[in-house]
Amino acid sequence: MQKSIPLLMIVPSLLMAMAIIGYPILDLAWTSSQEVSRFGKLTGFAGWENFAEVFGDQLFWDSLWRTGIWTFFVVVGTLAVSLPVAIILNDDFYGRGLARVIIMLPWSVSLTMTAVVWRWALNGRAGLLNATLMDIGIIDQPVEWLATASTAFVVEILVGILVSIPFTTTILLGGLSAMPQDTYEAAMVDGASGWHQFRYITLPLMKPFINIAIVLNVIYVFNSLPIIWVMTEGGPANGTDILVTYLYKLAFRFGQLGKAAAISLIMFGVLLVFTLLYVALVSRGEEDAAPEDEKEA
Amino acid sequence: MSRKLTRSLLYWLFLSPLVVVILFPFGVMFVTAIRPRDEIFTYPPTWGFSEFRWTNFSEMWVKTNFGGALMNSIYVSVLATAIALLLAIPAAYAMSRYRFAGKGLYRNFLLMTQMMSPIVLVLGLFRLMMAMGLVNDLNSLVVTYAAFNLAFTIWMLQSYFNSIPRDLEEAAWIDGASHLTSLVRIFLPLAVPAMVVAAIFTFINSWNEFVLALTLMRSSEDFTLPVQIYAQVAGRYQVEWHHVMAGTVLATVPVAIVFSWLQRYLIRGMALGAVK
Amino acid sequence: MSSVTIRGIRKKYGSMDVLHGIDLDIRDQEFVVLVGPSGCGKSTLLRMIAGLESVSSGDIMIGERVVNDVPAKSRDIAMVFQNYALYPHMSVYENMSFSLRLRKQAKEMIDRKVREAASILNLTSYLERSPRQLSGGQRQRVAMGRALVRDAQVFLFDEPLSNLDAKLRVVMRTEIKALHQRLKTTSVYVTHDQIEAMTMADRIVVMNAGRIEQIGTPLQLYDTPANLFVADFIGSPSMNVLPGTLRAEGGAVWVEIADGLRLPVPAAHAARAGQKVVFGIRPEHTLLADAGSGIPLEVEVVEPTGANIQVYAKIGGAHLCAIFTDRHEFRPGDLIHLAFPEAKIHLFDAASGMRL
Ligand SMILES: Nc1ncnc2c1ncn2[C@@H]1O[C@H](COP(=O)(O)OP(=O)(O)OP(=O)(O)O)[C@@H](O)[C@H]1O
Ligand SMILES: [Mg+2]
Repeated sequence: MQKSIPLLMIVPSLLMAMAIIGYPILDLAWTSSQEVSRFGKLTGFAGWENFAEVFGDQLFWDSLWRTGIWTFFVVVGTLAVSLPVAIILNDDFYGRGLARVIIMLPWSVSLTMTAVVWRWALNGRAGLLNATLMDIGIIDQPVEWLATASTAFVVEILVGILVSIPFTTTILLGGLSAMPQDTYEAAMVDGASGWHQFRYITLPLMKPFINIAIVLNVIYVFNSLPIIWVMTEGGPANGTDILVTYLYKLAFRFGQLGKAAAISLIMFGVLLVFTLLYVALVSRGEEDAAPEDEKEA
Repeated sequence: MSRKLTRSLLYWLFLSPLVVVILFPFGVMFVTAIRPRDEIFTYPPTWGFSEFRWTNFSEMWVKTNFGGALMNSIYVSVLATAIALLLAIPAAYAMSRYRFAGKGLYRNFLLMTQMMSPIVLVLGLFRLMMAMGLVNDLNSLVVTYAAFNLAFTIWMLQSYFNSIPRDLEEAAWIDGASHLTSLVRIFLPLAVPAMVVAAIFTFINSWNEFVLALTLMRSSEDFTLPVQIYAQVAGRYQVEWHHVMAGTVLATVPVAIVFSWLQRYLIRGMALGAVK
Repeated sequence: MSSVTIRGIRKKYGSMDVLHGIDLDIRDQEFVVLVGPSGCGKSTLLRMIAGLESVSSGDIMIGERVVNDVPAKSRDIAMVFQNYALYPHMSVYENMSFSLRLRKQAKEMIDRKVREAASILNLTSYLERSPRQLSGGQRQRVAMGRALVRDAQVFLFDEPLSNLDAKLRVVMRTEIKALHQRLKTTSVYVTHDQIEAMTMADRIVVMNAGRIEQIGTPLQLYDTPANLFVADFIGSPSMNVLPGTLRAEGGAVWVEIADGLRLPVPAAHAARAGQKVVFGIRPEHTLLADAGSGIPLEVEVVEPTGANIQVYAKIGGAHLCAIFTDRHEFRPGDLIHLAFPEAKIHLFDAASGMRL
């Protein structure tokens, strides 16, 4: 009886998560093995046919390739900006509170809204980005930013970086603020310069946080639909499609449920690998910090 | 000049490009939202405009059914937050206070659910809600948002609960309190700050969610704010940008203000919550 | 107030044995101190009495009642925690009255008891403060006050003074003892500080690695430690212990230690000649002797404390500490001679560590 108390406490949340997150996975596995009519009705067992169809589809491979580029550049770009920003925000300077608020601001705005605003700001005729760039004399003709796939994709990557900065900076700041002050003092006494402190103390101690920020960002960016969906819907001519936008079109535009389910499962597999990586990273960090004062139930 | 002042100037100089890029969309939003309609598509494009047209907001409110979408967003976010908290509090308590078989397993299960994004599951979820007759029913969003936010809420609460000394509860038992009494009179009052923060983050996540709302809500009376605003832009021949921007201002600014006020808790809570 | 009886108590955490069968009778009104090195199971035993840990086997009785399955809230005990465990969201008054309010006692009654306890503990002017606004010593007193208002059968203390500075610790030690003399509530007090144990206890229970090594009054433990562990644990600085072999020849009996040094011991031990033993003498029981009769030692370190002088010296490859209350001008390298009065000598079996 005593032993069942903690179990009773976790069961409601477990059931909820199982139903809403576990069940759809099973359903996807089922759907991916079904033949689907043109009207989205499942009409019978199809074995691996849907997967075969996905793998024979040039658009899938293009989207996959673009997903890789998208994820890589957004994650790397985000980290390249966030690390120095986090280090600055962790230091003491006039207006630090304000700086923190501003840097975190994009986090509070939904990706949809951000993308809508950028879509307008990048408008080829009247967009205010063109206004700004013309005012300071960088361009003298308005540029149609979203009209060609290659520029549109670059712009989307930049927006992707912008919206990922707050989260990443937060994780890194958490790591920095947990860093023992006396280590720095000891290093200063030992005569370490600023660069040496960074290279030999900050960076090694930050490594677990950087790793975790990378893995989490990979997962989030890999899955992110709204920016590309709202700004270009994967267009023009599928030129900015990544897996999630392609998947969404297949499922809800073209009614190719079997194929969409197959792609979902493939993505699920990729995510699983990332998740296991994350679990490994986290549990390695936890071994030292495990609370041992847990009591028996 | 003092060293701190020099340093501050240097830092601000370094941050300024980022600050500009972050504030730029807010500027775009405001400037478009309050300018007269016929000054939107001027050529060449310009920041300037002739007058503040505040009526854009009231016009937009009526024309885009902003109020309806606002109510939908509030309904979904409030209920999702309440359910997520209600389920997460006991789970986080158990994770923080008891040792039990399957605890590690549950921890990893939570991690997995935290990694699963709605987009990967959206087709399965759509078919689930279809089968249950919940498509076009805001409650389908309520349960999915609650479920997708559970893991994070549990992390965050658990890491805070760990910091509440266990001997406070033990002292209460010895003082003659039952487990329930010590929970209600000692533990929960001390856990209020964490619960408030967790609630607000679940709320903001639900408030901002797009993919599921887009998929599960098919008729425009059921749209939440992000979908509503997206619908003003997507697949239209003529977009009323001043209305769209007025909508984004109203949907964004209150949340941004609450968030700014909370972000220092976030840095503390997230570092523990996300990383552990 | 009542007695506490512990019969064959064992505690397992998973497969790990923490307590290996503890038997202990705590009499009504007695002040018993549990002492032992860190990790020996003192807190575990105390928390089992409190009902905060389950009992793996054996019985715990408070008065005549077996309480193994009685929850903490119904055991009618009060406890002072190491970190005080004051409820941070309640004022001092609310902290102290919490247990009474849970028992739904009358308002005037609660008020009277709280004020009474507060005046005993000098807390009257702090009643409206929150624990955050108190000093360490005041918090400690509030924790005491919370126990005091209860009229509990038993008071339990888990290292209540270990978070205070040295001076305050001595003051609070005296206060707690005075309080016990006044209230006479049966008390079990855990500490790893043997001076606290010696000064406060009616009886001391010395524990080590989940077992009881010895139970006795402070003086019994000091004068006749049952084994080497207790001998070493009680007393500060610790008893000097010198391993050697017992020899007897022509009426003289001695322990021969390294370098062939002979330490005379009472003739009663003659029968054990040849046995490997450990010779024990407390630093404060060593006497200076003439060059002819004493044991020669080479001085290594001299530490004057003001009240006395502690001398560390080399003896037959081992080290020995001696304390003198008279002032002497010793310098490192000096040769001194010591005598060990027969009545103060302790002998232990080298193999078992038990007192001979
Ligand atoms: N919840 C637990 N799970 C497993 N082992 C435990 C648990 N609690 C205590 N122990 C172990 O039981 C032993 C006794 O612990 P206890 O806290 O009673 O020691 P103690 O004598 O009070 O030490 P200290 O003076 O440091 O407080 C220790 O070895 C400890 O590691
Ligand atoms: Mg202890």
